[in-house]
Amino acid sequence: MTRESPAGEGTVKCVVCDIDNTLLTGIYLEAGDQPPGADPVLTTVLAELGERGILHALASKNPPEAAAHTARVTGWRFAAAECGWDRKSDALARIAATLGIGVDALAFVDDDPFERAEVGFALPGVLVLSPEDAAEAPGWPEFSPPVITPEARRRAEMYAERQQRQAAERSFGGTKEEFLETVGTRVTIAAATAADVPRLHELAARTRQFNSVAGQPPATGAGPAAGMTQDWFRDLLAAGDCDVATVRLRDAFGDDGLVGACVVMREAGIWTVPLLMMSCRAMGRGAIDALLAWLVRQAARAGARRLRIPCVTNSRNVPLRLALAAAGFRVPEAAGAAGQGTARQGAAGQGPEGGEAGGGEAGGGNATSGQVPAVFERDVGTALPVLPGWVEAPGEQGGDAA
Amino acid sequence: MSGTGPGTGARPARHDTGGTGPPGGTGPPGGADVAAITDDLRAFLAAATGRDELLRIPPAAALFGTAVGLDSLTGTLLLREIQRRFGVDVAGEDLNLDSLATLGTLAEFVAQRIKPGGSP
Repeated sequence: MTRESPAGEGTVKCVVCDIDNTLLTGIYLEAGDQPPGADPVLTTVLAELGERGILHALASKNPPEAAAHTARVTGWRFAAAECGWDRKSDALARIAATLGIGVDALAFVDDDPFERAEVGFALPGVLVLSPEDAAEAPGWPEFSPPVITPEARRRAEMYAERQQRQAAERSFGGTKEEFLETVGTRVTIAAATAADVPRLHELAARTRQFNSVAGQPPATGAGPAAGMTQDWFRDLLAAGDCDVATVRLRDAFGDDGLVGACVVMREAGIWTVPLLMMSCRAMGRGAIDALLAWLVRQAARAGARRLRIPCVTNSRNVPLRLALAAAGFRVPEAAGAAGQGTARQGAAGQGPEGGEAGGGEAGGGNATSGQVPAVFERDVGTALPVLPGWVEAPGEQGGDAA
Repeated sequence: MSGTGPGTGARPARHDTGGTGPPGGTGPPGGADVAAITDDLRAFLAAATGRDELLRIPPAAALFGTAVGLDSLTGTLLLREIQRRFGVDVAGEDLNLDSLATLGTLAEFVAQRIKPGGSP
């Protein structure tokens, strides 16, 4: 048994399984009229990991019917299935892209040593297992998330809903706003409560693409923190000098529950958001844009002049930077630079530690990487953003009182 | 995982700049490239959103505004495609993503990075 991936609690978000002689007790195409049944050991493992919010996917050198058969006999709803005859490492990369997670959040189970070697070589971040290894996986830390929330238990279903939503959107033809309206999108922003703490901690641990702090607890005035633990969030809720707002998201396809949150510190004239995070499932569904618009409107109503969002920039949270840019946030010293590129790189180089590892979703380490956050900000005095009618939030019509 | 730095993977645009060329680029040196890149970006946006009308948007169209409605999802896909196709890491070189102001500013930003030394 080889475990090359560095052990970390709950680092595996999706297990990708081969079909022949792995999830099935034989070879699908060689079985004639009686396709093989499900492997009882791995079926049990799938169920146990699924309870923890770990997704399952298929990568098989078979026709698509084999995936449908495997879903039937295992009783499992696979979040993605890649059937074909190209390299398994390519199939895994496509699965990661489909699910919106990093390749290094995948584990791969295959009975064929050649396939394991191919994936292990091409994608060194993937945890590669034989079926025998996988039988023990539920006892390993990589498959043991520290907390399991209701959102986690529904994760497989939510990814299936996401596939239906994406298919509907591709054939829709209208604008994004029209689509969100048509499918009954509802974004609900509310003050966090004690019941939200486990999910807040989970979001802090899992989110990368919409995360303003890259996993490091921000300074909040509540004292130094070792990490964004549940206790840390409890302290924040109890602290008088900051607010924690949560974002819930649902539509006709399903209810994604609590998908995002932010911490807000109010000082005279200037509001600061030391932590902003959102699940990648909310991407492209108006939730981050609604939260940013609401923050600007709230700050304006309170008489603040500026809203600041410090953001550690790296190659993985480019989606967050896109949302900030779309909402009119800028890093002032960078914006003042005349020539595109070089001057901005200088401004971004406040955090020259750089060398941001991993991910590489939209580029590797580069001039805008660093652990010192760049402070994005915008004026809140003028041209308030519009909040769509499907957003319910404190201080807004139809929302709770602020 | 070792990151590829900006620029190291730069390669010329992979398409023929001769035949196509509706008025897209404004006129700096390398304008033909800008026009072709603009067409490429239009085609990608239309395919990614399923909205054919994006094939006809002018260079002055605001990407984040109502015309195109670029959001974090389509924006990420667009930047990924630009990196794959042109070897230009827009997010790595433009902290504020001001290059995404309009279709035209993005095409020019990409054109400049493909040909280092090309002056604006």
